[in-house]
This record gives sequence, C-alpha cells and structure tokens, in this order.
Amino acid sequence: MAQVPSWTVIPVLIRYWIKGRFTKTALISILIGEIFFVLFILFASETFLSFSGRFRIGTELTVITWSLILSFYLIGLIQSGFNGSGLPVSGGDVDYVFTSPVKSRDVFIAKVLMNSLTIVLFAFPPMFALYLRISRFYETSVVIAAVAGLVTLVYFLMGLFLSADVTLSLGKIGRRASLLKSVFIVFVVFVTLVPFLSILNGTPETVTSLIRFLPNGLAAATSIGLVSGSASGEILFFDFILLLLWLGGLLILGIRLSNTHFYELVQIRQPRIGKKIVQTSSRSELNPIGRSVWSVVGTKERIIIKRTKELRALLMNVLFLSGFMIIYSLSGSFQSSPISFLFILFILGSFGSGNGMRWIEKERLWILKTTTISMKRYVKEIFRARVFPLLLSLAPIIIVIGVFFVATEPIDTSSQMSLILIFPAALQIPALMMGGSMYFAAKFGQSTTDDILETQTQELVDIKRFIYQAIINLALIAPIMLLVTGSEMVALFFGAGSTIPLFLMLILSLLYTYIILNIILDKAGNTIAMREDL
Amino acid sequence: MAEIFVEGLSKSYGDVVALDDVSFRCASGEVFGLLGPNGAGKSTLLKIVVGLLKPTNGIVRLGGHDIVRSPEAAKQIVGYLPENPSLYTGLTVQEFLQFVGKIRGVDDTSLTNQIYESLRSFSLVEKMNSLIGSLSKGMKQKVALIASTIHDPSVLVLDEPLTALDPRTQRLVRDWIGSQAGKGVTILLSTHLMEIAQSYCTRLAIIDKGRIVASGGIDTLRKKAAAGSEANLDEIFLRLTEKSGDA
Repeated sequence: MAQVPSWTVIPVLIRYWIKGRFTKTALISILIGEIFFVLFILFASETFLSFSGRFRIGTELTVITWSLILSFYLIGLIQSGFNGSGLPVSGGDVDYVFTSPVKSRDVFIAKVLMNSLTIVLFAFPPMFALYLRISRFYETSVVIAAVAGLVTLVYFLMGLFLSADVTLSLGKIGRRASLLKSVFIVFVVFVTLVPFLSILNGTPETVTSLIRFLPNGLAAATSIGLVSGSASGEILFFDFILLLLWLGGLLILGIRLSNTHFYELVQIRQPRIGKKIVQTSSRSELNPIGRSVWSVVGTKERIIIKRTKELRALLMNVLFLSGFMIIYSLSGSFQSSPISFLFILFILGSFGSGNGMRWIEKERLWILKTTTISMKRYVKEIFRARVFPLLLSLAPIIIVIGVFFVATEPIDTSSQMSLILIFPAALQIPALMMGGSMYFAAKFGQSTTDDILETQTQELVDIKRFIYQAIINLALIAPIMLLVTGSEMVALFFGAGSTIPLFLMLILSLLYTYIILNIILDKAGNTIAMREDL
Repeated sequence: MAEIFVEGLSKSYGDVVALDDVSFRCASGEVFGLLGPNGAGKSTLLKIVVGLLKPTNGIVRLGGHDIVRSPEAAKQIVGYLPENPSLYTGLTVQEFLQFVGKIRGVDDTSLTNQIYESLRSFSLVEKMNSLIGSLSKGMKQKVALIASTIHDPSVLVLDEPLTALDPRTQRLVRDWIGSQAGKGVTILLSTHLMEIAQSYCTRLAIIDKGRIVASGGIDTLRKKAAAGSEANLDEIFLRLTEKSGDA
C-alpha cells in the first residue's frame, strides 16, 4: 500500500486532536478562564502604568521589565522541555499514531501546528488587552496594539518550538540534560537581568541592548517600542526579523530532530502517576509513637505537601505575588481605587482556593472511609495542616505592604485606623476561600490519575464546580469585604474614638470566619462520608 | 472470630439496579468466594460490606455489628483490599503503614513490631523507606495487603487480590490468603481466577447482573449447573452465567 501523503495526513491528525481537545464543555471552561485572565491582565497593566507614571519609568526600563516577565515564560518552557513534556504525547498517540506508517516529521508538524493554533487562539485576547491599555497610555492606535499582540504571539510560538526541540533532543543529550537545563536557565536570567541592573546604575545604553540577544528581549523591545511609539521603524523591523529568524530556526531544528529522534519520545514519556514526586526514598518523618491520631493525620498531610512539591510551588507563587504587591503598593493604587484593593484581597484569596482544591483524590478515600475516624475531624486537621503554611507565607507580604503603605502614603488617621481590619482580612479571606474550595473538592474532586479527567462529563463537572466554587467563595468572603470597606467610613465618622467600634468589627469579622469555617469544613466532612462514586 | 451476614441487600443508582436482593452468610473462619462476570456487582457488594457504600435496602452484619447502624464497631473488625488500591504515593512504605495503623487504632507498642513483621513476611524490609510512588505494582499490592491486616481484623474483604500480579507475587499472595484463613480469619474474596476460588474457598456464590444465581460448595454448584461430577469451576461458572443470561 502507498504511504499517505503529508498534505492528507497532517489535517487528519489536527482534526482529530481538535475534536478531542476542544469539546463544547472544554471551550466554555476556556472562555471563563480567558475572561479572568483578561481581567487580571488589565488590572496588572493598570497597576504597572500607575507605578511607572508615579516613578517616571521610561520605556527602556519598561522593555527590560517586560523582557524579564517574558523570560519566565521561556524558563517555564525550557523546564517543561527538559522534563520531556515539550511535545505532549498522549497514550493514544503512542498506541495508534506512532504504530502507523505516518512519517514522524508529519506528526511533528501536526503537533506543532495544533499547539500553535491553541496559543494563537487563547493568548491573543489577553495580549491584545494588555497592549491596548498601554497604547491608550501612550496615545497610539488600536492597530498598533494588535500588531504588538501579534509580535508577542510570534514569541510565544517560538517558545513552544524551543520546548519541543529540547524534548526531542533529550534522547541524544541524555545525562547532560540536567546540566544543560541549568545553563539554559542561568543564561536567560543573566542576559535578561544584566541590563536591568546596569540601567539602574547608569551604565551606558549599549549594555541594555544585551537583552536583544534573546527572543524575550526582542519581543519586548518590538512590542513596547510599537505601542509606546518610541522606537524607529527600522530598528523595530530589524528586531522583528531577528525574532522571526529565531522562530524559523527553531522550527527547522525541530523538523530535523523529529526525523531522527521522534520515537525516543515514547521512552521519555512517563505515565504520570499521581502528583509529581522527585525523591524515591526517605526516613520516616511521621513518628507516630506517643502521638494522637489527629497529630499524625496533620503530619501526614504536611509530609505529602512537602514531597509533592506543593509547598515549593506555593512559596514560588508567594515570591512572585510579593514582587507584584510591592509594585502595587508603590503605585499608589491603595488610595486611588478601593475596588482594586478588594481585587487584591481576592487574589490573595485565590491562593487559598488553589491550595484547598488539591487536598483530595477520590481514589484514596477508601483508606479513610473503611476506618472509624470522623471525616469531619479529619477534614479540619487537613485544613489546619494546609492553612498554616499558606498564612505563614502570606503574612510577610502583608507586613511588607503595610510598611510600604504607611511609609509611602500621606494617609490620614482614618485610613490608618481601618488597617485594623484590612490586614487580618488579608489572611481571613485566603483561609475562607481555602475552606470553601476544600468543600468543593470534597464534593466534586476526582482522581488525578483516572482517565475520567479526560472525559467530557468530567469537564462539565469541572465547569459546574468552578462556577459554584467562585460564587460560594465570593459569598463567603463578602461579609469580610463589606466590613473592610465599611471600616474606613467608621474610622471617618468616629475619628479618634473609632478604636472601639473598629475592634468590635474586627471581633465580629474573626467570629464570622471561625463559624463559617467550622460549618463549611463540617459540610466537607459530611460530603466525603456520603460520597458514593468511589 | 466473626461471621459476615448479608440479607436482602439491594443497591440502585437511579433506575440502574446494581444489586438485587442479595443474601448469603459467611461463617466464622470461612473463605467465601464471589465469582461473576465483569460488571456483575461484585465490587459494589464488597464496598457495601466494608461500609464504603450505603445499601438501598437490606442488612449487612460483620461479627453481629450492622455496618449501617454501628459502622464504627463493624469497621473495627474488618480489613479491606480494593481491586486497584491507590495509596499515598508521597509517603514511604513505613509512613503509610504507620498512618494506617494509627487511624485504625493500633496501639503504639504493637504498631512498630506489627509493621516490621509484616514487611519481613512480604520481603519488603529493605523497601521500608522507599516512597510508595517509586514501587512496582506488585510491591504496592503487598503494601496494601499489609495495610488491610495491620489492625489484626477478624474479617477480610479482598477484591481481586491477584489482578495483574506476576506469578511469584501471585504465589506469595495466595500463601498469605491461606495463612489468614489458617488463623481463622473470615474471608470474603472476589476473584476471576477459578483456580484460586476452587482451592481456597469453602463455599462460593456466583453473581450475575446484581443477583446471586447460585451459592454453596462446589458440589452444590455442579448440581445447580446440571454439570457432570467431573466438571470444573470454569464450566460450572459458564453454565450458570449463561443460564442467567438466558433468563
């Protein structure tokens, strides 16, 4: 039989992958995610523009900052490339596509086109929103903002190609992979950061152009140059051509690699069993002798959080959040926009929400449900084990913001008084949202290993869960938000005598948090006890 | 030792009837086998027996304790091995067994010895500090078996304990089932392996489409299947489930 030509097979592969990935329910969830992402991008860009306006940040520093942010994307993709997921291969691909006579080059092209399509569809709206906001600031046109968005898309595609190339080369570089990964990442960070440091020290401008060695710098320089109207047409054109050369070069490299190394992906691809664990052995850290069962339950959860890298991920996120929050507090947005402050509280809360969702995998419930332990108490112990590291990592950020807030803002007494409620609220809200999310995980949480996650029914359950969770979590934190917004009015109304009413409000808010957490965690415990889809 | 008593047990999910009027009694120290085609309701039945699912109707008593009315008392005496046991992959073997022992109320003085002895009997001592996520399927199965008996239960419920195990591990698990039976533990065992059922089970129930189509010793089953005196369990099973399919 004749070999199927590329022009026939590539569309067939893409068509079936699209059918598998973009189901109706998946599209709804993506749409919801896009809306949230666009809102966040608008909020973040607003904050940055306030900050840069206040501190007279020039376009050079903006380019370097944007280049730094884009480098995180590149670093993430380099890492995923070295982890073997730069070119996602499913079990179905291995069993049916890899065993067919389709050329590996065609499979590679189809994969890359498929991934590119996803990036183009879903990354463009937030990027366009970002550049539109910046173009309004610099009074440039909407068309320019759209072109800047397309330039960033080219960079995003280039990142995908790089990640795929790294994965394809894993079979060849083998044991050097870990060393090369570190070299790659250090190089990207170094080239991105050096101009940042030198511009602050007043080092000549030529040093800052160092970032143009890398695609993230080229993308930042071209897109910011476009929307700010600060760069000359020739330079922009030259930078864009360089970026396209990166893109083309990495694509050609990928096609060449796919001819020789594509089937090594089957060896690289490891079935993901549960959450990712790096180590293979450890001495017992549980030490159960002489301790209560609940203390052991708490320790077990802390061990799991630590070993599944959840704790490390939390600390990394907190690090990024603290950087953002410092910029936010310096931007002066606290005073100018109370709504954006509430949004910040919501972002803090989402940390709790994310942490709460990961606590359960339904296929392990048999271990607990065949014993006599109380599920209500179990859930509360898990909550304690998870909420303390969260609050401990958020507390320093809140203190730092507080210091910036008091030190940099010419605030009046009433605003200072309202801090009595604001800062505890910044911890209460993540705790409440974590409790809410634990309840929803108890109700809808699925296994991370089951195939059920790939079914449309599961996607629908996820959407339902997300919507319910968002609504209920908002309802849970609404009274705290109201007390926070009301505290400034109370401080204004009572003036110097507002200490007592504010402390009463604080007690009310703490009492509310305590009661609601108890109710929601009891409900989570009951839900698990009643769950039958085991 | 304790008996398992199941009477008029039904389980429905909406219009779908998973179990329909199932009754049997498993005497103290008996190994009672459950056979049935895929989707017959065996796992559902076992999950109800250990208190993971609530029955729609009927009674389940373990050592005289009703699993619905007195779940704590019933769960104290039962050990369970699911068909595909999922363990905490982020814990080491020792930590997982310590955790299970603790939530099962094993006292501190015997917990350490119990874990060590069990690991020794399954040749897992050197894997004590290995993370469960790094173990092979057979080893995980052994850890799950140890966990199911860490509290010295008088009733054991085993759902396909030999599925997907290599012959060496199968032999080890079969010996382990034999040793538990030898200790007088009442065992309710679901399996697809007729050879296991024939050699270990004192009595058997064949379940199909949520109903018990026949139960008793091998001779009783032969009679019900109208099979010859030389007929093995495979033939009996096929005849009985075909009959049930025709009905």
